[in-house]
Amino acid sequence: MAEARAESLAVNDWGGGVHPYRVGHRKLGMWLFIMSDSLTFGALLVAYSYARASSVKWPTPFPFSPSIIFSSTMTLVLLSSSLTMVFAVSAAKARKLGSARKWLIATMLLGLTFIVLHMMEWSHLIGEGLAPFELPDKWKAAWPGASPLFGSTFFGITGLHMFHVFTGVCYLGVVAARVKKLREDVEVAGLYWHFVDLVWMFVFPLIYLLSVDYHNVLGE
Amino acid sequence: MVDSKGREAKALIGVMLALAVLSLGVAAWNVMSDTFRAGTDDLFLVLVCLMLALLFAVPVLMWAHANGMLTNPFADEPLPEVAGESEHETHGGSDKQNTIIWIVLLGLTAFEVLLAYVQVPINLMLIILMGASIIKAALIVAYFMHLKFERLSLILTIVPTLVVLLCLFAILFPDSFRLHNMRPAESVEQVQHEG
Repeated sequence: MAEARAESLAVNDWGGGVHPYRVGHRKLGMWLFIMSDSLTFGALLVAYSYARASSVKWPTPFPFSPSIIFSSTMTLVLLSSSLTMVFAVSAAKARKLGSARKWLIATMLLGLTFIVLHMMEWSHLIGEGLAPFELPDKWKAAWPGASPLFGSTFFGITGLHMFHVFTGVCYLGVVAARVKKLREDVEVAGLYWHFVDLVWMFVFPLIYLLSVDYHNVLGE
Repeated sequence: MVDSKGREAKALIGVMLALAVLSLGVAAWNVMSDTFRAGTDDLFLVLVCLMLALLFAVPVLMWAHANGMLTNPFADEPLPEVAGESEHETHGGSDKQNTIIWIVLLGLTAFEVLLAYVQVPINLMLIILMGASIIKAALIVAYFMHLKFERLSLILTIVPTLVVLLCLFAILFPDSFRLHNMRPAESVEQVQHEG
């Protein structure tokens, strides 16, 4: 009897019964958080695109070398961290806690590498004189009348993303330290980590690849 | 009893289908009409019509799915079975599959960077980049985040909601183009430049 009931639950994919989504409450909560968070990032990216489309001039200050190569390296690091996270999740599922912890630590290290690279880039730009509402003098000369909002969109979007990576590293640290107790949380943490990676897949082309300084205006 | 219920369901499905087609028709009519200028209000109307069409189409599609007329396009294997926790944990992508996905993601990224290197016109570039990014996002969500292997009900809760809401954000863009075209200060400056 019980079997028959279970079967009818599985066959009817919409009816749900006692397990409408067949996921644990933590995982469902993480999915809901990801939905709201993706709307936050969506709003920021739309605001950036709006500001850029409505401005007569927008600075395109990233020379292919070194800026784009540098940010491509950051993308590679973040994508690789997603792969190590996948391995951590599958190790945790197979109850190989030691190897799950190692993969989690690898993911954290890649995340930290991303943060360090990003910080280097930020300090380079701040050193040039970029501020949230102020372009460097060199840029003003290269793109007269360009919108000063470049800095606020750049720091706002990449800053919030970097904060997410930082939070993710802390989160993974807690899960890795208590992996015996939090075995099921590895997968939930993985959802968060992949989401942060996913957001970068939109930030990278929109902010960097569409702002390449082809004519080497800045002459670096 | 069963028969009359079946007929009722069929009648409802028919009504839903008609409403969905009607909504699609209104959207199409709006786009075709002479007054369409792709402004914020036009886009809003089209989007709302499409959303209504989607809402009305969902029960129809679910009914068709339940009656075996449609197969679930997200699952390439018969739906994973049942209740037991251990069973639940075994299905999903293997490490090898995930590595392949990672390589594809790297390839798409390299393609994007290549586009930035060879200097494509910016509008075309934007379209290609967004297309590639959406493919990458879909791969990450489906395989890394494992959504492909979840229940259809979870997929249907998450994906359409996000798509519709992000589309709603996009109806602001006509306004930004308008702003671009109507800036007085810059246009004066430009005239001075030209003069």
